[in-house]
Amino acid sequence: MRDANLKAGPADFGDKRTLSADSHTAIPVVSLRGISKTYGDFTAVENLSLDVRRGELLCLLGPSGCGKTTTLRMVAGFVEPTAGSVFISGRDVTALPPYRRDTGMVFQSYALFPHMTVGANISFGLENIGIPKAERARRVEEMLTLVELTELTHRYPRELSGGQQQRVALARALALRPAVLLLDEPFSNLDAQLRVRLRDELRLLIDRVEITTLFVTHDQEEALMLSDRIVVINCGKIEQIGTPEDIYERPASRFVAEFIGSCSILEGVVSAGIFVSSSGLTLPLNGAAGQTTIVVRPEYIKPATASSGPNRLNGRVASSNYYGAMSRLRVAIEGDALLMECHFPPGTRPAVGDAIEIEIDPAGIRAIPAPPGNA
Amino acid sequence: MRIDAIDMGMKIAGAIVRPLVYVTLCLPAAIVVVTSFTAGESLRFPPEGFSLRWYQAAITSEPFMNALWSSTRLAFIATVLSLTIGLASSFAIDRFRFRGREAFRTLTLSPLVVPMVVLGLALLQFLSWMQLNQTFTGLLIGHVLITLPYVVRTLTASFVLFDRTLEQAAMNLRAPPWRVLRRITLPLIGPALVSASVFSFVTSFGNITLSVFLGFAGETTLPVQIFTYVEHGYDPILAAVSTIVILVTLIVIAIVEKLVGMETVA
Repeated sequence: MRDANLKAGPADFGDKRTLSADSHTAIPVVSLRGISKTYGDFTAVENLSLDVRRGELLCLLGPSGCGKTTTLRMVAGFVEPTAGSVFISGRDVTALPPYRRDTGMVFQSYALFPHMTVGANISFGLENIGIPKAERARRVEEMLTLVELTELTHRYPRELSGGQQQRVALARALALRPAVLLLDEPFSNLDAQLRVRLRDELRLLIDRVEITTLFVTHDQEEALMLSDRIVVINCGKIEQIGTPEDIYERPASRFVAEFIGSCSILEGVVSAGIFVSSSGLTLPLNGAAGQTTIVVRPEYIKPATASSGPNRLNGRVASSNYYGAMSRLRVAIEGDALLMECHFPPGTRPAVGDAIEIEIDPAGIRAIPAPPGNA
Repeated sequence: MRIDAIDMGMKIAGAIVRPLVYVTLCLPAAIVVVTSFTAGESLRFPPEGFSLRWYQAAITSEPFMNALWSSTRLAFIATVLSLTIGLASSFAIDRFRFRGREAFRTLTLSPLVVPMVVLGLALLQFLSWMQLNQTFTGLLIGHVLITLPYVVRTLTASFVLFDRTLEQAAMNLRAPPWRVLRRITLPLIGPALVSASVFSFVTSFGNITLSVFLGFAGETTLPVQIFTYVEHGYDPILAAVSTIVILVTLIVIAIVEKLVGMETVA
């Protein structure tokens, strides 16, 4: 048992620090092997495999209905896979019910027990695994200290704010010291400002307890900011697995490029280091010759200045929106449109219809691998 | 201006109608209670003088006290059985998608729509075929049948509103199914259980039609006893007995109120 000899500070989860050295070679905390889930004719998850490494925060990101929540629920044991296996800490748990799996889940609605106080909510799981009363009380105290809610032990969930409820749900899940923390859209019930604040808090807390976390969200900003690695899922299949930077800068598919951040996507042909779009726009691109799709992120496009290099293009502003810290322009060039994001000093933002000369940083031009079977 | 006039009109109408409704609801009971304290020989309002003699008569009357005990015992056992069967049925109806689920739901609610006389006649024939007529078991079966719809309706309604992620959260916190049921599901549908038992108890306790068909010499329920008494006599002992019944009902409601709060029951 992980909890038997807890010597270190209140937030210390014992074994992780020592194991983190060989985290990449160690057994994955969660391992999904070819899992599928079908409901009649509908395929929610299709032949999906992935590993959650010890101590990492892995995010399942995708549009709603893409199968990410189904995947999470298969890890927790609420959904039985139609095919494939689920391993937790190297053990095949596919056939085990939720209460025999070493997971701690925070539900989208938090699912705090309304008839129990905050303390009783946190203590509930500890009772179920037979922790003696004195130890339970100590552990509840420790968890409430961790989420900074010690003064709310005797309150009922309905007396708490949304943010406090979320922290109680987190404390309740962590109290059992599960092998993996499962978070199902934990911020979706909060307003925008609170969401950003709690996101920062959650990341700090997860770092402090060093718990392996599997996180589900449809919010790309949340995923980029919180995750060690992101798994982009669409229609029940993995589109790409990578660090936030990989996903953003080197999208593996058109879907990933469009889903994460904003971008301009152009179709065309590459020959001799030059990309020519279908409407005749030319850009430098080192890549294999042939039919290619390219992605340009808006922050790599700037208005041209006197010192600009050769990658200048003349276009016309098709739309111009002010976002405060920056402005977003859609620039029509030849038959294509490029999206740019840039800060203009007050009063200098181009209006719709203005001519504009832009320059593209070649580092920001990426070819997307063609989908298989579509040469 | 116009809206104000309408508002005012509504307010005045409400002020008139509300006391009218309360008075109409309470007056018959109030008259019975007042009449029960009469010192005279006849059931009449206003009563002649004041005395507790009819209460003494009621309490010492063996037929009435036996009937009161009979009714209470029957209503209690019927409620316990009805609650057990009803809870299991509602749980199955809510949680499982089995063949004939809708038919099953309709069946459990059907005693509500079948006229009581028809039900009584049918049960009389059925029970005598089963060799259960003129037995307590037969009477009990009848009462479980008429109380079941109230239990199933109340409990299925509360199951529909029940947030099942709470059960999943409990399971995630290592609680096996029976523990989830005991610690999460039952406590949370507790008010509905109390409400179902109150409905069930009152329905059984007050039923007369079915009891007339299924009752027998050794097992006369209070409503039947009152009914048969009225046929050959009409004295204030009836008012005293009725007042005792009203008192018992009020005590039950007060206890329930104290336990769970009436607003959760209604």
